[in-house]
Amino acid sequence: MARYGWIIVVLLFAWCLPAGAQVVISAPGKQTIPLAVTDFLPMDGTTRPEVAAEFNEVISWDLDLSGLFGLIPKESFLGDASRLTLNSAEVDFGQWRLLGAEALIKGGYSVQGDNLIIEARLFDVVSRRLLTGRRYQGKVADIRHMGHTFADQVLKALTGEEGPFNTRIAYVGNQTGHKELYLMDVDGKNIKRLTDHKSIILNPDFSPVGKEILFTSYRAGNPDLYRKEIYSGREARYSYRKGLNIAGRYRADGKEVAATLSKDGNAEIYLLGLDSAIHKKLTNSWGIDVDPSWSPRGDEIAFVSDRLGNPNIFIADVLGRDVRRLTESGKYNATPAWSPKGDRIAFARLDEGGFNIYTIRPDGTDERPLTFGAGNKEHPRWSPDGRFIVYSSDETGEKALYIMRADGSGARRISPRGGEYRHPAWSPSW
Amino acid sequence: MKMQNVGKMMFVAVLAVALMAGCAKKPAPGDTMGTTEMGTTQESSQQDTGFQEQAIQETPSMETTTAGTQIMGLERVFFEFDQYTLTPEARTVLANNAQYMKENPMVKVVVEGHCDERGSDEYNLALGERRAAAAKNFMVSLGVPADRMTIISYGEEIPLDPRNTEDAWAKNRRVEFKAVR
Repeated sequence: MARYGWIIVVLLFAWCLPAGAQVVISAPGKQTIPLAVTDFLPMDGTTRPEVAAEFNEVISWDLDLSGLFGLIPKESFLGDASRLTLNSAEVDFGQWRLLGAEALIKGGYSVQGDNLIIEARLFDVVSRRLLTGRRYQGKVADIRHMGHTFADQVLKALTGEEGPFNTRIAYVGNQTGHKELYLMDVDGKNIKRLTDHKSIILNPDFSPVGKEILFTSYRAGNPDLYRKEIYSGREARYSYRKGLNIAGRYRADGKEVAATLSKDGNAEIYLLGLDSAIHKKLTNSWGIDVDPSWSPRGDEIAFVSDRLGNPNIFIADVLGRDVRRLTESGKYNATPAWSPKGDRIAFARLDEGGFNIYTIRPDGTDERPLTFGAGNKEHPRWSPDGRFIVYSSDETGEKALYIMRADGSGARRISPRGGEYRHPAWSPSW
Repeated sequence: MKMQNVGKMMFVAVLAVALMAGCAKKPAPGDTMGTTEMGTTQESSQQDTGFQEQAIQETPSMETTTAGTQIMGLERVFFEFDQYTLTPEARTVLANNAQYMKENPMVKVVVEGHCDERGSDEYNLALGERRAAAAKNFMVSLGVPADRMTIISYGEEIPLDPRNTEDAWAKNRRVEFKAVR
């Protein structure tokens, strides 16, 4: 328990902030910044190369995923990489310019028993300035979360917007022989099981406020919705009406939930209060209406309906004045996920080859396929900053979780081998 | 004793976070800067235990653990992809099932709707419910009292055949009749 009790001490270097970064980047793929990530060095006598290696591995993985950087191979590093020079006055920027580096990460660590201190710095090589510096103090076991947190700050320093790496991904796994709810880091590490329902759990969603999660479970013999506080472990059955109680999704302010209920015999989308009281029946058609996804402003909901024949994605005005069809192509479109910035909706389309993930503008224009090839890619969910999409894929024959950039590039598997990993949901900033 | 100290420290840390107190921390040598503090300090024992349990690997056996047992005399019926309409074969089977229910008036059943793994999971939950309702309603029309049959959908969660083939999918698009537990 104590190993999570780490404290980040954030050192904001006041003098560098107003000037802003020399390197300005916004989106992946346009240009990449040549970045050198050095192995951190011991700040006192104790040398723990595995600590330095793990921190390096975490931030390199994160920053590579971002697509904003070209990582300079370590083998080419010169003498400054092995000197604990952490002030911009002492760093030999000339050496780094020689290697073509425009950004440089250096740092040091100190291990005392279980305790770990890390000092991490990001420098602009061109202007020879510190862009951001952080000091992390906690347990050795927290090192990965420290690394993810620093990677978040690196993105913030260079783009103005924090990264999403120190977050969690919830998913459904069957490793115990039952479908239970789990949490993992964005790189698939630190897996923790959250439930012991010994039943079937489906389709989690994080509350945007507070560390709470909503999911479907058959524990009581019916697909019911449950809410669970992640830290306390406290759990309550949230909606257990007759028939389906599935696909709960919090509104962006966390105060209302959209869910599919079939209490009157047909699957319709309802808006519920946190006390489970029905605020509104949003859909009312003979067809199947499932899979709601809120717009970030909370004024519209994308959902799946077969009211015109095949499953397609529709958008309903929350006030109920208007329902419009979003997807016009494809015979089977499902699982919409509205991006946190509101500019695009991701969804999965089934065709001859299986499911692939697409995005489309909420006005129905500019549809783009993000995934191709064999297998089914399903359940897209956005990172809280909208830079990435997590999804499930069985392209290797195993049901596994993957992350890609919002433009479909950089896809990589995050879940380990063994068993099924399905129904991902990306937490807000942790 | 050490744990207590740790607990105490954590409490202080939690309190500090809760108060959003910008506490002064010792700055790095040679640098002056504003400092803020944040932390994730309350991870529960729930999460700690989950970590150890990751290694457990078993082959799931959902048929016995979640769904009920099949009743002899009540046959499964099968469906076309993305359909819940009853085929002529399904109607024949359901007519036999209805006859069995009338001859065994004490039997109560759960009518389970299932789907193949293609299609969206949530949509399949609704589709499975429609399949179960279609089977139940047909048997009601043949004189079986509605209150002896309850319906539930498992969507694509409990396939009869887990393979990824046309044959397997056809087997998995089904309605089953299970004893009420």
